[in-house]
Amino acid sequence: MHEMPQKITIQVNGEPHTLFSGSSVNDLLADIGSDGKTVATLINNRIVRPEHRRNCRLENGDHVEILIFAGGG
Amino acid sequence: MDSLQLGSYTFSSRLILGTGKFSSTTVMLDAVKASGSQLVTVALRRFNREQPGDDLFSPLASIPGITLMPNTSGASTAAEAVQAARIARELSGSPFIKVEIHPNPQHLMPDPIETYEASKILAKEGFMVMPYIPADPVLAKRLEEAGCASVMPLGSAIGSGQGLATAEMLDIIIRESTIPVIVDAGIRSPSEAGLAMEMGCAAVLVNSAVAVSGNPPLMAEAFAEAVGAGRKAFRAGIMEKSGIAAATSPLTSFLGSGT
Repeated sequence: MHEMPQKITIQVNGEPHTLFSGSSVNDLLADIGSDGKTVATLINNRIVRPEHRRNCRLENGDHVEILIFAGGG
Repeated sequence: MDSLQLGSYTFSSRLILGTGKFSSTTVMLDAVKASGSQLVTVALRRFNREQPGDDLFSPLASIPGITLMPNTSGASTAAEAVQAARIARELSGSPFIKVEIHPNPQHLMPDPIETYEASKILAKEGFMVMPYIPADPVLAKRLEEAGCASVMPLGSAIGSGQGLATAEMLDIIIRESTIPVIVDAGIRSPSEAGLAMEMGCAAVLVNSAVAVSGNPPLMAEAFAEAVGAGRKAFRAGIMEKSGIAAATSPLTSFLGSGT
């Protein structure tokens, strides 16, 4: 019997975002169109370093922040 | 070689440029290049796929010799600033952090208590802490003792263009500090930047005055020249003021000698 892939809903930069269950931070970055090279990532206020993004699985209800450097004084 | 020393970092430019408020990234990059600045500030912001041009990391990294100094703008408490600093360091690869905590958007005055707390923590974590502070000599000394790399007192309110309204206090801070004093905020024109340097500031941080001018790259160049001139004047030693005239030409007049 074939099971439908489960989906999870997370918050990305304050907006709801749906992903397949088991998605990693890298999967999320690809999904939103970032190559991940110039962003910082946080899950529930914890920094996830680039080398850990591939193995870091997102859970339903996670709050993810994806941050860049923009203009500022 | 007269250079700005911040910890183990050496900069030949004493003009720090902010990257906010520019009309476009291209204009900002041209201004950074024209300024000769080697330390430029950036702010953390949420990624938005609709506005890929907001991301300044790659464009700035393409300019040789640039070190990024992220700020903690948006933080209104020490805890938020510490978190922002840690995130920024992950991204910048630079230990420089401009601690900027202003809880009230009406006047943007830095919160001295939260700024002190955040700076103390970040200095212990090995950051090059550059706190944006009110021009308060006592606070400046406390931050120096807490291990900050510099103090950055305001000349006047952020973006106000009111110049060196705090000159008297800046003078005391400069006299008392053993770490570089950098005037941050309020500078409107190159002459004010030059004056800050003549007073003995180690550097100035300018953003609005360049970004909102009619020709930002040209204004950036003007600031660089003024900062350089002010620094040279400070090093040369500026003459004392006098209440009376002192002739620069000989007054023993030969014109009247025949009468």
